[in-house]
Amino acid sequence: MPKWEELVDLENRTVSPRVFTAPEVYRAEQEHLFARCWLYVGHESQIPRSGDFVTNYMGEEPVIVCRDGDGRVRVLVNSCRHRGMRVCRTDAGNTRTFQCPYHGWTYDVQGRLVGVPQYQEAYHGELKREEWGLLEVPQVDSYRGLLFANFDKEAESLDAYLGEMKWYLDVLLNRTAGGWKTLPGVHKWTLRGNWKLAAEQFGGDNYHVMAGHESMARLGLFPAGKTSGDEPWTRDFEVRTDKGHGWINLAIPDPPGTVEILGPYQTRVREEAKQRLQPAQHALIGTTHVGTIFPNCSIISFNGMTSLRLWHPRGPRNMEVWSWGLIECDAPPAVVEMARKMQILTFSPTGIFEQDDGEMWGESVEAMGGVYRRQFPLNYQMGAGYGRRDPEKPGLIHPPSTEISVFGFYERWRALMNNGTGVHA
Amino acid sequence: MNTIELRLQFEDLLYHEAWLLDHDRLEEWLTLSTDQIRYWAPIRTNLARGSEDWSRPSQLMHFDEDKTSLIMRVQRIRTGAAHADEPSARVRHLISNVRVLDVHERVAQVTSNFMVFKSRRGREESLFVGCREDRWRWTDGAWKLEERLIVLDHDVIENVTVFF
Repeated sequence: MPKWEELVDLENRTVSPRVFTAPEVYRAEQEHLFARCWLYVGHESQIPRSGDFVTNYMGEEPVIVCRDGDGRVRVLVNSCRHRGMRVCRTDAGNTRTFQCPYHGWTYDVQGRLVGVPQYQEAYHGELKREEWGLLEVPQVDSYRGLLFANFDKEAESLDAYLGEMKWYLDVLLNRTAGGWKTLPGVHKWTLRGNWKLAAEQFGGDNYHVMAGHESMARLGLFPAGKTSGDEPWTRDFEVRTDKGHGWINLAIPDPPGTVEILGPYQTRVREEAKQRLQPAQHALIGTTHVGTIFPNCSIISFNGMTSLRLWHPRGPRNMEVWSWGLIECDAPPAVVEMARKMQILTFSPTGIFEQDDGEMWGESVEAMGGVYRRQFPLNYQMGAGYGRRDPEKPGLIHPPSTEISVFGFYERWRALMNNGTGVHA
Repeated sequence: MNTIELRLQFEDLLYHEAWLLDHDRLEEWLTLSTDQIRYWAPIRTNLARGSEDWSRPSQLMHFDEDKTSLIMRVQRIRTGAAHADEPSARVRHLISNVRVLDVHERVAQVTSNFMVFKSRRGREESLFVGCREDRWRWTDGAWKLEERLIVLDHDVIENVTVFF
């Protein structure tokens, strides 16, 4: 088994390439991360009525996320208890039962086994149906409309797990009483690359923007300001929160042509948010937000658009990205339309920012997986020791760019892979 | 012009368009569309048969472009710094099943199937398959594309660095 303390070197702040390329590391992640962490599974607005369901994955496990007759959200493992067949093969819908196409075992939306063909003739009435319902993921909870589930019934609560990240999520998700909902449609696409390269980037890699998205810089689509931004520490910063989460905040002015639509809307939002957010949170409204909820749920919000996405692991060198669009329930149609088009244009399978990120992640695992290369570590030393605590904002803060947050991801990763032992603040 | 001649004319036009895309003549490709072009590609889903609905408002799509955003996409490639496209891929558009469904007062409804193959840097290969439902308008002595609906066959897609 890999020695986790060698793969993530806390003293030198380096990470071994094997973290991204070794099959045994990937397999261990399924057990120590994806079976123990709170994973995003969907948004409340996708399943508003009883019987509504969507299908998703928790790591590699297919799940059904549905709302039962009492209005409660259930997350059920999408595998028949009889012979393992995938019970629900559609992406979404509304139903009273899920019937397995293989032998006809039928489950209700609470996962109870309510129908077994030939129960008397073949099973002689002996099968204890109450013991053979669909496996229910033991913990399910919701934060500001975001649904999370956890296979580990002993895991800490979602609230404790999110920790300091809640403060930053609230800047966006708690601005208005009406809250948020998802746009119809989910972008799903495969990318080469290890899922963690994507997760770490959204949690604290502002450094890549000028080089990685050089084409957009050359088109003048973001201003060439100081690399630390015009408002370092206050509205331009990266933060390493507790529990391995990360957040990037950038005070980038809205491009011309969008201000007319966004301006009045943001003014209304700011007014309503005064009663809902702390002053330090309120000051961040309208800035660009990028973040990762450990392990594999990220968010990016700018120019009215907000993409919430999952980096599904598909082997050490491949991932499948699922991306949803979030919009505020009170947003006027012009803002919704602008957000929708901006998300399609920038962060989607055709996204003019997204595509360049995909190139980096794919080529990185190809380039660093060789027997020789993987003996030498990757450098995560940027900004070490320069983070500061801010009395008004939780976590360890540093102006962009820094790597204190991405290394925080691997500090948490190491602690969990090492079976929860090891110190992680 | 009879129906066969009309179909041949559109086949030639679509083959020419494919040639422009395969040979990086993107600026010329942009001149084939009107300034009012809507260029859109909905997301495919696995739902009960017959439930796909592309008229639902505000849905995410793979493309929903106007002339301005199409121009921006081409300009991005021209910076030479769009890393997903540098070094550039070899792209091949195979167009078939061309049908002229209707021609009425200078507007033609034309459908065609496509297979677009992309190869780049050894391992990276993609094949996109689908059909286009076009509306072409006869303007100033030439057919110009006014709307293109692209129906891709993949529900889980890949990085899309090509035009369809």
